[in-house]
Amino acid sequence: MPYACIFVPDFPVEAWLRAEPELRGQAVAVLEGKAPLQRIVATNENARGAGIRLGMTRLQAETGGGVVLRVRSAQQEAAAHAALLDCAQSFSPRVEDTSDDTVLLDVAGLEALFGPLSRMARTMAQRTAQLGLVAQVAVAANPDAAALAARGFSGVTVISEGKEAEELGRLPLEALFTNRQAEAEQFLETLERWGIRNLRELAALPEAPLSGRLGQEGLHLQQLARGATMRPLVPAEELLVFEEGIELEYPLVLLEPLAFLLARLLEQVCARVGARARVIQELRLELELENGRRERGQNIFQRRLRLPVPLLDAKVFLKLLQLDLQAHPPGAPIVKIHLAAEPARPRAAQSGLFQPALPEPEKLELTLARIARVVGEDKVGSPELCDTHRPESFQLRRFVPGDSEAETKSVSQSRSLVTASRIFRPPWIAAVTVQDGKPMHIDCPRRKEVSGKVLWASGPWRSSGDWWEQEGWSHEQWDVALQQGDGIVLYRLVRDLLRGKWFVEGAYD
Amino acid sequence: MYVELHARSAFSFLEGASLPEHLIASGAKFEMPVMALLDRDGVYGAPRFHMAAKKAGMKARVGAEVSCKFPAGGSAGLRGQFRLPLLVSDRSGYQNLCRLITRMKLRAPKGEGAVRFEELQEHAGGLVCLTGGDEGPLAAALAGGGMEAARGCIQQLKNVFGESCVYVELQRHFRREQETRNRAAMAIASSFRLPLLATNGVCYATAAERELCDVFTAIRHHRTLATAGRLLSRNSERHLKSPKQMQELFADLPEAVANTLELSSRLEFTLEDLGYEFPRYPVPVGETMMSFLRERTWEGFEGRYGRAAEGLRGRARSQIERELKLIEKLELSGYFLIVWDLVRFCREQSILVQGRGSAANSAVCYSLGITAVDPVGMDLLFERFLSEERGEWPDIDLDLPSGDQRERVIQYLYQRYGERGAAMTANVITYRSRMAAREMGKALGFDAETLEKVSDAVSNWEYRDAKDAFDYRFRDAGLDLRHPRLRKYFELCVAVQDLPRHLGQHSGGMVICQGRLDTVVPLEPASMPGRVVVQWDKEDCADLGIIKVDLLGLGMMAVLEDSLKIIRTDYGEEVELAHLPADDPAVYSALQKADTIGMFQIESRAQMSCLPRLQPRNFYDIVVQVAIIRPGPIVGQMVNPYLQRRMGREQVMYPHPSLEPVLARTLGVPLFQEQLLRIAMVAASFTGGEAEELRRAMGFKRSQARMKEIEAKLRSGMERNGLTQAAQEQIITAITSFALYGFPESHAASFALIAYASAYLKCHYLAAFTAALLNNQPMGFYRPATIVKDAQRHGLKVLRIDVLKSGWDCTLETVSRIAGAQGETTASAGLALRMGLRYVRGLREETAQTIVKQRQLGRFVSIYDLVHRVPGLRKDELNKLAEIGGLNSLAADRRDALWQVGRAIHDPGPLLAELPVPEDRSPLLPMDGEERLVADFRGTGLTVEPHPTAYHRARMQAMGIHPASELSRLRNGQHLRIGGCVIARQRPGTAKGFVFLSLEDETGVANAIITPDLFEKNRRLITCEQFLVVEGALQNQDNVISVKAERILPLSITRAPAESHDFH
Repeated sequence: MPYACIFVPDFPVEAWLRAEPELRGQAVAVLEGKAPLQRIVATNENARGAGIRLGMTRLQAETGGGVVLRVRSAQQEAAAHAALLDCAQSFSPRVEDTSDDTVLLDVAGLEALFGPLSRMARTMAQRTAQLGLVAQVAVAANPDAAALAARGFSGVTVISEGKEAEELGRLPLEALFTNRQAEAEQFLETLERWGIRNLRELAALPEAPLSGRLGQEGLHLQQLARGATMRPLVPAEELLVFEEGIELEYPLVLLEPLAFLLARLLEQVCARVGARARVIQELRLELELENGRRERGQNIFQRRLRLPVPLLDAKVFLKLLQLDLQAHPPGAPIVKIHLAAEPARPRAAQSGLFQPALPEPEKLELTLARIARVVGEDKVGSPELCDTHRPESFQLRRFVPGDSEAETKSVSQSRSLVTASRIFRPPWIAAVTVQDGKPMHIDCPRRKEVSGKVLWASGPWRSSGDWWEQEGWSHEQWDVALQQGDGIVLYRLVRDLLRGKWFVEGAYD
Repeated sequence: MYVELHARSAFSFLEGASLPEHLIASGAKFEMPVMALLDRDGVYGAPRFHMAAKKAGMKARVGAEVSCKFPAGGSAGLRGQFRLPLLVSDRSGYQNLCRLITRMKLRAPKGEGAVRFEELQEHAGGLVCLTGGDEGPLAAALAGGGMEAARGCIQQLKNVFGESCVYVELQRHFRREQETRNRAAMAIASSFRLPLLATNGVCYATAAERELCDVFTAIRHHRTLATAGRLLSRNSERHLKSPKQMQELFADLPEAVANTLELSSRLEFTLEDLGYEFPRYPVPVGETMMSFLRERTWEGFEGRYGRAAEGLRGRARSQIERELKLIEKLELSGYFLIVWDLVRFCREQSILVQGRGSAANSAVCYSLGITAVDPVGMDLLFERFLSEERGEWPDIDLDLPSGDQRERVIQYLYQRYGERGAAMTANVITYRSRMAAREMGKALGFDAETLEKVSDAVSNWEYRDAKDAFDYRFRDAGLDLRHPRLRKYFELCVAVQDLPRHLGQHSGGMVICQGRLDTVVPLEPASMPGRVVVQWDKEDCADLGIIKVDLLGLGMMAVLEDSLKIIRTDYGEEVELAHLPADDPAVYSALQKADTIGMFQIESRAQMSCLPRLQPRNFYDIVVQVAIIRPGPIVGQMVNPYLQRRMGREQVMYPHPSLEPVLARTLGVPLFQEQLLRIAMVAASFTGGEAEELRRAMGFKRSQARMKEIEAKLRSGMERNGLTQAAQEQIITAITSFALYGFPESHAASFALIAYASAYLKCHYLAAFTAALLNNQPMGFYRPATIVKDAQRHGLKVLRIDVLKSGWDCTLETVSRIAGAQGETTASAGLALRMGLRYVRGLREETAQTIVKQRQLGRFVSIYDLVHRVPGLRKDELNKLAEIGGLNSLAADRRDALWQVGRAIHDPGPLLAELPVPEDRSPLLPMDGEERLVADFRGTGLTVEPHPTAYHRARMQAMGIHPASELSRLRNGQHLRIGGCVIARQRPGTAKGFVFLSLEDETGVANAIITPDLFEKNRRLITCEQFLVVEGALQNQDNVISVKAERILPLSITRAPAESHDFH
């Protein structure tokens, strides 16, 4: 029962190198975190040689010079991982998706197809390389031994049955732990204290006394070290991956024929999802554009529709995708379409007898998408006041029906104002003459009626803040009275102290 | 005219952003004659505010914002939580304020107290109440119940404080809602016929400091700036405004501005009028305190001078007479008796005690047994201790063994003078680089890892060159200051330096008072149970004439005390420190060779590099030695001339012939503070008062500006007395550099006594001294690893920790044979030192004590037996013990012990507990030398086995590395390599950026000097590597040996985590 393992070392770097193969041979490091506090999370061999260490900041890494820095990309890594799975699945139907950088394959009986195990392993390495990833491949009689060998030895390794302990023995203890969590650290500490440095020494310890000291987990580690574990493979659940694609014979330029093809794909996806009694939570559309090379990861146009309420309606999906593509056109002829659907369990909801009827989620989504197409995605939602002194500062929260009740309540509880004011949006620019620090005369080019001598003024009301950000602010407000016809009108005047500009911001009723 | 009567300083702890001095400076700039400071729940900043105001010719008014919390259903009007601004009008008001705050503070956890209504009623006399700003009672009432509640509130305040003592406060910070409140306040004031008062509710001196105030707000609420939202201030208007600005702001209410002057004229109280009185000492009937003191002094005189030569006796007698007269005149007899009583208590309890500081100048103190140095014999200047002109209390500091013994003395004082009669002085914790970096970064929302990096990078080299500045430290941490956010971080870190963060407790300063101390200064609970702290630090107390006794814990006193105990039990000898042989040759021989590791005050690298040149031959040489290696003499360039003259290479000269009597004993070079004072008096005709001013400027932290003023006076005085320009410069340099830090002669003499005692014990009772030294770590200049290696080189056998033999402390054992290392055989032959369990990192003391107790009941026969009988032993403790060889007596080797521990710690359960213990042979290989080293250093921080370099000598020799012991035999200027474990890295503030490394190998310690350039090139290597090779030219000047580094290389010796003592 031989098993193979394909392992991609320095996976986050490899994911980038797959997209930018011209960087191979250079020192490359991947950063993670929010600027300006990004830190190195992965490096390739060349970068390590150049003194780049995990945990360094961008500045520290740049100081050394000569290292190419990339920000960690979940997308690239997902693509690389998919490629890794693709590769594995092209060899065997039984593939375990062990982790982002590791896949295990049951290769029993595949010699007839791919030749002897060593050749098969080499082919695997070659094919992974063709997909843009440099991998370490190992074949052994059990999955764990194969995984250990792939992680521990570079290139291609084939361990004959019965030779596992001997071959794996050279590996350091750290190879046993894929992640250094507290428990792993504890084992390592104990073993280091015992003077155990490699798997051979661990394998040689007597079993019963070891189990008396390290328990079943210790014994398991020893079995691993001996290459003597046998566990069933956990094949990746392919059935719940809903992906469809079309490779086009000629590039598509217009959105209309694309919609036709998309409709077909969506029909197929929905049919499959429906057959599994699931609905769709998310749709991912990937369009490969003309002249793009897939390996480079460039010229791949991706769109993702995350639905707040899972649906299963091909027509709604099609409309949403159309609206989305109208707002974000691919910008180049399309040569390949790839559509993936994220399944979810269908929602079970029952409306209350006395609750007001809410719009149907499907329609609401469509409406929101339509508005977003017109005003932009970041400008749709429920406004929410920010906790700041900054005047009229608000943010948009995704609109969820049913939330308005609480807000209404809180508004009604707040004390009413004596005077109502109406705010001009955007505020009107004004030229103001100041005397003794007070506005004396206003001239508002956009509104001729808002011009003239200030009869009286109240203020200033000053506010400033966010001084630690680049976008700090400092305002001064005045309430001014102007003669308009027979009457007097009160306006609110604002002076932006940082930019030195005046605005008429509103009027009091 | 307008004066500010409602200002907070940074002593409101995270609610104000300026120091009191800064506020006064701004007030002075606006020509305000008066200002009042109202910090939150205290008068923490009042002394500094007062002193600064005095200097600026202003008047400082005292007050506080007092937190109040009244139940909702309580007295109508005053409800809920608010801050009541109170101003002190007379001394009774001040006493009431202090008591009010004390009562509130002492009953609640730190920072949570609030005053109750009945307390307010009880303590309202002499206080003027304002209605406050945003946090005041009026704002709280308006927000809670509108106008009606506000009227009720004001009525209540009127009832409590009286009609004439309530002012309706108006603040204008350009905020709409505030103006609404002001209108309500004006209406209420008019209906109650109360005066209006304009204030600005100042929180910082200048508008720019609003940023810091915002950061403090975020820190106070445990938020970041980004998430603090509306907790932050709306604008920057709470800075100190000029009278003109305030008049414009309140142009519609001129009476509100005018009332500030009217109110200020009603406030009579200043801190000059504190009413502090030192306690009287109870004496037998028929005696006065003075007569009682006289008797005690003459009793002591007999003991001290009874057997002295007649000349000395005579001089001492007349000196004591003179001192007693002055003490009587200044009415200080009670103070001396109280200190005498403390010393007597210590002696009765067998607690070592020794007075230090200027008290050692007094023959009365010497006779009373307070000090141990004979001031008459040493011709010390009494006026330095007590002078008629000064009009301030003398300073008596007592050195006690640190730890429990000192605590007993403190508790004795509490018991004797009562909870409200004695308290510790405070220690104001201020923002320094590390805390600033951490807290500012946190407020800006940086992640924990970055904060860790920056605060680590902002380390504490004493010397800072341009490249050592804060911004370079940021760069070291990998932060790019070109980024605006990081730039802001950096600016905030710089701005917050030296601002107070919170109040701590001073290690030893105690103030006591006749009557109630809580009428002099508010008291607070300290974090240590049973301790009470005053709101002022010791300098503030001194400024205000409050007498204090410093009970200082000195590690070396504890070492001496412990050594004497060990000598008594293990050597069977009785040694008394008071009767040590005066001129012990072994001591002076060790000192002359700079063989001083572990000795008090003379063990540092700098001291060691001076000892071979100074060649101490008598006690006074040690006094000089202790005093000379201080920043004052070093920067004043006094060290070299003194040494040159001492060695006869330079002629003894005086800046002016009139100074010969002052400087003769130190060969024309001023080394002690007293000499500087005398120089000022002789050369510049300073009066006693002026000399005193100079003394205080030299003694205080806040002295830079004062020194400048004094310098001008000195110059004009010397000019008048006809001193040459060169002589003037020399004297000015000497005096100004002493502002950096120098010792008074009496203080140096007290320390020299302890230094001599420690040297004597080390030379003659090495085992006992080393054990005591190791039991009192951390202290001194070296890590325990170095102390152990030094003791081993001196022939002491050091035995490893053994669970069958070690106690918690290091102890002595009689061994049949001493394996002598190189170096002389000492009196400790036959005794070996057994390392104590306290050195097992992570082993709890209670567990160790259980081990010792169980062992006394019967020897442990196996590791299983140990685990069974000491069930509290944790897995990690057992592993650690096994790893360092502490269980070797119960196993074949360390690995075998580890193997057994692994099994023994698994509880078999009740069913299998009685089964015989399985015997399985350890399959593990024994540790090799390197593994043992790593385990030793990791588990105990030291090794009793050979020094790590001993295993690699052949290789090191091949690399051209000379052992440390060989250097003295090599010629000066020879190019060579030294190498070893870095035990100390120093970059002293006085050394212009030079770095000093001490490298230890198996033969001793070698020193290397690194130029600033070389340091800059090898910064990482020098600061991070544990083992180094230094290549350069050997310097041997008067047996002071070092290598002037030209090249630094890493040395691969061991992975053992050896530690060094850095950044002194």
